[in-house]
Amino acid sequence: MPKTYSPIVHIAKYTLTDEIRQKSFIVMGVICALAILLVRSCYSGNFMVNGQALDAEMIIRMVSKVIFHMIAAGAMLLAALLAMRVFKRDRDEGMQSCILSKPVTRRQYVLGKILGLWVLSGSFMFILHSIVFVIASINLKGVMPEYLLASLFCSFNLLFVIVAVLLFSLLMPDIIAFLCVMGIGIAGFVAEGIFALGRSSMGQAMMQQSGSQSDWTMGKMVYYLWPKLSGIRQFASSLIGGEGFQGFLSIYPFINILIYVLILGALLFWRFRNEDVI
Amino acid sequence: MIELNDVTKRYGSLVAADHVSFSVKTGEYFALLGPNGAGKTTIVKMLLDFTRPTSGNLSINGFSSTEAASRNAVGYLAENHHIPPHLSGWQYLRRCAELLNVNRSEAMDQCRRIVEQIGMQGREHTKANTYSKGMVQRFGLGAALVGNPKLLILDEPTSGLDPIGIRETRQLLESLKSRGMTIFLNSHLLSEVEKICDNAAIINRGKLLVKDTISALIRNGDTLEDVFVRLVKG
Repeated sequence: MPKTYSPIVHIAKYTLTDEIRQKSFIVMGVICALAILLVRSCYSGNFMVNGQALDAEMIIRMVSKVIFHMIAAGAMLLAALLAMRVFKRDRDEGMQSCILSKPVTRRQYVLGKILGLWVLSGSFMFILHSIVFVIASINLKGVMPEYLLASLFCSFNLLFVIVAVLLFSLLMPDIIAFLCVMGIGIAGFVAEGIFALGRSSMGQAMMQQSGSQSDWTMGKMVYYLWPKLSGIRQFASSLIGGEGFQGFLSIYPFINILIYVLILGALLFWRFRNEDVI
Repeated sequence: MIELNDVTKRYGSLVAADHVSFSVKTGEYFALLGPNGAGKTTIVKMLLDFTRPTSGNLSINGFSSTEAASRNAVGYLAENHHIPPHLSGWQYLRRCAELLNVNRSEAMDQCRRIVEQIGMQGREHTKANTYSKGMVQRFGLGAALVGNPKLLILDEPTSGLDPIGIRETRQLLESLKSRGMTIFLNSHLLSEVEKICDNAAIINRGKLLVKDTISALIRNGDTLEDVFVRLVKG
């Protein structure tokens, strides 16, 4: 392994093994396992509406999609919970000074932390999605390979959450850092709903009546510039539903998140470089 | 081996190091002395790039302390050393070896030898949350020895150790010195420093008061403690 990458991989490995022992990881793991056990029954039930049985395949796809979103959101929560205390814990337990007293650069240290957290939360999400994939495949008597691909796409969101929480945890108390990033995610989710409503014919008519077209243009700008965490999840779940590729609109959330990760990552390296090691 | 050139470090209005300059040669056993809050730990932290100087520069082995290469052959023990509570002393030493790219078999040999040197045989596989402060300090010293460093930077290495531990640590450091290792020591234990160090510097309120050989400092029949008190109290 090249010398530059070796410390990054080691630090990522330590982060992974240390974080697995954290209460938040264990609690989230148990909650998710219970949730999956509970939703299993949704796949085997018969659903009737007005006395007519619903198409079983459609139900399975619908349930799988809902669970997909739940797991993706849960993994984001987990990534934020783990990331918010990672620097503080390393400092308090002496690992930060131990690592940085060796010929390891601060950039390698931060990259190792990001990589470790990303692999851990990404694997957590992928394993849960895989379990749902297996359950759905058994009930469908066929496979949905796009389900696992969609899970991989969602891991971009985790990278954003990790980098943002790590940066914010250097600037403000851990819990505030966590809440800020969760707030960004929730605001994006709400904006997605408002935007969908605004594009509907009812929404258009309402805006024309109230004459708030200029406010809407402003809102659209904010909507496009806001971190598109929901956008990536929507795109990923559209793969499961077999919805068509919408060109730039499908790619845009990835570009948006990538740009945010690069900017926040650069700020994180800069901030950590000026941080005193205790 | 170590060079400090006109180093100043300010924390707001507090001056932790005030235009400090001195050097430590290869193979020297050097002690940095001073009362609490004199700026000793700040100097150590600047040497390891844990904090950046406001002005001036520091170097180790010709590399600026801001370069990772300056820490290539450096072992460090912090004043209040900590080990992650879920790790055993052995796992901790192994992590240090991995970070230094020591190959697996060599790392095993080194860790085994170090556990013996620090007198922790039989306790190396128990979790750190069962260790006393002195045991953590011993493993901290052990971690500093991983990778056969040429320079040891020790901040209060005997902190938390009982008299036997202090004696064993002194003997270990003496044997390391006899093998040509350079040792940079921050200590309050003046009697220990007087016994084992070649050179010492005394700082107070960030200012370097004196730097000389131990024999030159105590030449008038004074103890190092007398010299220290006289210089610090002004």
